[in-house]
Amino acid sequence: MKSQKTKNQNSILKNKSEFHLDKDDFFNSRHKGVRIWILKHMVNKSNKYLIILFFTFIVLTSYFGSILYVIIGKAIDIFATPGNSHLVVNYTLLVLFIGLGSPISGLLGRTFREIIAQRIERDVRKEFYLNLLGKSQSFHDSQRIGDLMARATNDVRFLNFLISPALGMILDASINLIVPVYLIGFNYPIELVFIPVIFSIIFILYLRKFLKKLTPPTIKRRLAFGSMNTVLNESLSGIEVVKSMAQEEQSVEKYKDSAVNYRDAGIEQGDIQAKYLPILFLSITITLSLTISIFYNRSGVMSIGDVLGFIGLLLRLRFPVNASIRSFLMVQEAIVGAGRLLELMNKKSEIYDIDGAISKKIKGNIKFENLSFSYPGTQNKVLKNINFEVSAGQTVAIVGTTGSGKTTLTKLISRLYDVNNGRILIDGTDVKNFSLKSLRDQIAYIEQDIFIFSNSIFDNIAFGRDSSEKQVISVAQEAQAHEFIQNLPDQYNTEVGERGVQLSGGERQRIAIARAFLTDPKILILDDSSSSIDSETEERIQEAIFKILSGRTTFIITHRLSQIRWADLIIVLSQGEIVNQGSHEYLLKNSREYQKIFIKRFDKTLTELLGGD
Amino acid sequence: MSKMGFFGLGEEGYDRVYSDRELFTRVIKLFKPHRRSMIIVITFICLSSVTYGLTPFLMSLIIKQLELESNPFLLLIFLINIFILNSLGYVFNYVNRRQGNRMVYRVCYNLRRQTNLRVLEQDLSFFDKYPTGRIVSRINSDGQKFGGSVTMFTELISSFFVLIIVIIPMLIINPLLTGIFMLMVPLVFTFTLAFRKVARRKSLLGQRSLAQVNAFVQESMAGIQIIKSFRKENAQFENFQAINKQSFRVNMSRALFLSILFPSLDILIAILYALLVFFGGNFIIQGVLSGSDIYLFLQSSLVLFQPLLQIAGFWPQFQEGLSAAERIFALQDSESYIKQGNFVLNEIKGKIEFDNLGFEYVADKPIFKNFNLVIQPGEKVAIVGHTGAGKSSLTKILLRLYEFQDGDVRIDDHSIRDISLREFRQSIGFIPQTPFLWADTITNNITYGSPNAKKEDVIWALKQSGGIEWVKNLDDGIDTFILERGKVLSMGQRQLVVFARVLMQNPSILILDEATAMVDPFTEVQIQEAMEKVMEGRTTIVIAHRLTTVRNVDRIIVLDHGRIVEEGNHENLLQKNGYYARLYNTYFRHHSYEFLQEIQSKRTQ
Repeated sequence: MKSQKTKNQNSILKNKSEFHLDKDDFFNSRHKGVRIWILKHMVNKSNKYLIILFFTFIVLTSYFGSILYVIIGKAIDIFATPGNSHLVVNYTLLVLFIGLGSPISGLLGRTFREIIAQRIERDVRKEFYLNLLGKSQSFHDSQRIGDLMARATNDVRFLNFLISPALGMILDASINLIVPVYLIGFNYPIELVFIPVIFSIIFILYLRKFLKKLTPPTIKRRLAFGSMNTVLNESLSGIEVVKSMAQEEQSVEKYKDSAVNYRDAGIEQGDIQAKYLPILFLSITITLSLTISIFYNRSGVMSIGDVLGFIGLLLRLRFPVNASIRSFLMVQEAIVGAGRLLELMNKKSEIYDIDGAISKKIKGNIKFENLSFSYPGTQNKVLKNINFEVSAGQTVAIVGTTGSGKTTLTKLISRLYDVNNGRILIDGTDVKNFSLKSLRDQIAYIEQDIFIFSNSIFDNIAFGRDSSEKQVISVAQEAQAHEFIQNLPDQYNTEVGERGVQLSGGERQRIAIARAFLTDPKILILDDSSSSIDSETEERIQEAIFKILSGRTTFIITHRLSQIRWADLIIVLSQGEIVNQGSHEYLLKNSREYQKIFIKRFDKTLTELLGGD
Repeated sequence: MSKMGFFGLGEEGYDRVYSDRELFTRVIKLFKPHRRSMIIVITFICLSSVTYGLTPFLMSLIIKQLELESNPFLLLIFLINIFILNSLGYVFNYVNRRQGNRMVYRVCYNLRRQTNLRVLEQDLSFFDKYPTGRIVSRINSDGQKFGGSVTMFTELISSFFVLIIVIIPMLIINPLLTGIFMLMVPLVFTFTLAFRKVARRKSLLGQRSLAQVNAFVQESMAGIQIIKSFRKENAQFENFQAINKQSFRVNMSRALFLSILFPSLDILIAILYALLVFFGGNFIIQGVLSGSDIYLFLQSSLVLFQPLLQIAGFWPQFQEGLSAAERIFALQDSESYIKQGNFVLNEIKGKIEFDNLGFEYVADKPIFKNFNLVIQPGEKVAIVGHTGAGKSSLTKILLRLYEFQDGDVRIDDHSIRDISLREFRQSIGFIPQTPFLWADTITNNITYGSPNAKKEDVIWALKQSGGIEWVKNLDDGIDTFILERGKVLSMGQRQLVVFARVLMQNPSILILDEATAMVDPFTEVQIQEAMEKVMEGRTTIVIAHRLTTVRNVDRIIVLDHGRIVEEGNHENLLQKNGYYARLYNTYFRHHSYEFLQEIQSKRTQ
């Protein structure tokens, strides 16, 4: 109870969702600003010291690299002065020592940089994925999977690039702007400092403007590449339709449009980049400095060695000039990418555990009270004024035409969506008061279009549970699946799904029934709309379904008369409303809607059906 | 040609090896329309390397003048020269980069367009063999890689220029120091090449592990509802962590390895500098060299390093670009088995004739051998049979999606091979088993194939195919955006949209692969009625899975292993109590009321 209380205090900052880690508050928090979020990842507790080390070594690298020129300049002066031949070895060793210092500290700096970068990629991806898992079903309904994938891999990767190399290069570049200035100030006439300082100011001002111009086409290019992929992908997956309707031209045009966009964005970007002026600024600066230092040399203030050292230091400015565009573009891209991640992460999940949510064993009495529902973001009421009651262990059949709200009704029980008005009570408790874990653990769902994970048959049945082989085989037998599994190449270890053996609809259904047997739910929801292709399988499936119904409260969406006959209660839905409820015989006599559904189906006349009992 | 650099892409059946000569000829052909740009780019890249390479030399000349304390006027001339040279360098660089970039994007664009066109010409056997994702990545990503290698090539030219221009003055001033410098060259080459080899292996691993993350995210998002329903987020998250951590480890090792390159080269520079100071120092003391010469050597070695690296790394990287080009060319050059005729068949009556047809997907595994069937204009034929009997193959041959090997198929007495595909396919309506819809509005899905249709036509087509009521219940009616493959709609609704799409097309021949998935009885009746509407007055071939369908057609063709074993109508065939009767008991009986009664009575026993 104590921990409950502290959790509640934190809940204001927390991202309320269907699923989150218990311990790690960092990954459960909400974030507003993109930049602050990235910063938080950079300086989180495990990266803090790495950042300091990274910084230190970068400064050292640049310092060693720059001072080398001062020393070489001095050496040349000394050698030119007669009688210093014994100093050659000393200076050689000094140059070697300092020359090696730069790459060695560089290597260390890079190592720390990589560690930080890879960690950020790992952590951000973890946070994003966790967040996706916690989002409610209505969120997932509105997403394109391809888009989510692009965000989870590419956009996350841009945050890696932000640190390595971008931020590393920017740091390097800015230190390379500062260190030469500092060394010039110390070793040569102080007024010479103005040259690199003025250059730096102009450079930075220009760079800001330049990036502002360059960012839009860069982002445009990236988006265009994405759409080029999407367009081509879609037209090739529908190739049968394209060809059979002779619409190749249409596909070609669509692809052309996005390829043109991509080309134009690339050209626009290249045109801007080619103009990059700082290269010219630097040449002017160096020519100017040379002129000034010649003047100083003539007036005896600077030796030849000083002139050489001074110019050598100024030439170090090449590095920031050349590295800046690329690295700042990476920063821009990372910020855009992070924005795309946060945009999704900050979408509120409509469904989460309320404070003080309860966990308890379910008996299975369910009551729908004045329930109505429309999907989030839409006006259209999918369900209206739903009222009915089921006692524990009963079977309810839900019938109705396409779009009458059958599937939606069942999804509300396990809170895949929350009702707008009214409520659903399980054993007298509103489903909203249950903890999601307790609620969903006791409800099993066999969906219409059964999803099989690319995994072994065994894992698809066990589905994250620690189940013994014996248990899995026994439920497979119950579900009439054992026999066909035995005939697969590796029996229970056969890989199925996208990259493995393709299962037929009837086989999938039996796997799902086995899965449900294993969870031994109190409430079972069975959307039995898929059909098996042959009569024998049909019989087996009916057998399996009959077995799993007993002893549970079951909602079954079906149009098979055999199943409807097993039901204790039949609910007839039409356009979101219950138009009739009762037994099969009662409904056949009294419900027009029910008659409409079943009569034409079997080419029987009404009287025949009525008498068919 | 090396087969490395596939980056997770395995070889495909259409891949072939081109000789280097063929490859270069093809590449040059691509650039032919851009000859002018190419000449400009190469000219300017050479000019700009001259200005870049000359700078250290000019600077050292100025410093030499300082040492000689010559007259200020001469110095001024040198300074002005440097300034002009640099400004020119900027202009040259601008022209070459801009022009080069434009050229590369244009060439890549043309390459993509060509490839896309060629791919769309392929028959369906091509798409059966090669997964969509890989074709997409060939057209888009390999195109990009190829473009990169072109840029690399122009940079190579400039690197050689810089190298020559920088080394000549060095050689003149002091061959010995130049020799020391040149000692570094083989070192740089050996190191870079060895490094790249390992780096490539590590990068490959890195990309694979990222692809794994990608696949995992895809699957868990596709199965999110079932994960939620079973409250399996935790197990799923743990699996994700394992994959994410592995990707972290693999990519960390890659990144750490890659970070060795530049510091190691810097170590070489440091050693080179120490040697220059040592020997140069002694030369200064001996009076052979001056400070300006040392300056020249120091700056030259910096200027030279970049081009040296570029030359060292050129070949393996360029090869990657070439093999990207090779992959694209292979895609372009794969031949479609279907060849178009040019006879335009207007006003198809709808007589279909299979005459001694022979067909196989794979050599020596014939689907049809001497197959004969005549369907009269306006006739409605159902084809039934076990899986693998050849039902779908027959319809796909008729649609010219696959090429047959023997015999002939005739439409209104014209060989199907002589007929122009475009008009022919437009007059055949095809309803596939699983309805495929575009991520677009309902309207655009229905007018797909008849782009000139108006809104009233769409409404008409919807009404014909089972009513418009359900569409009105959607938020935006017929303008509702239905996402990928129409996932906003239920399966039954998707079928109705496909019916409307075909009605709009007004085909003379209809081919219908009946859906096996069950919808509610009422919608099924709707679909049945829609089907009857669509079939009216058209030659129809239905691959039947429904009892009602086989009962309603003129003739049932019973197929077994590519042969017609029985034909006739439902009642006659049942009475015969042969193959069809057995088929009926397996596939159709469970749709009947009696069957359900039977199960019910078994249960209650």
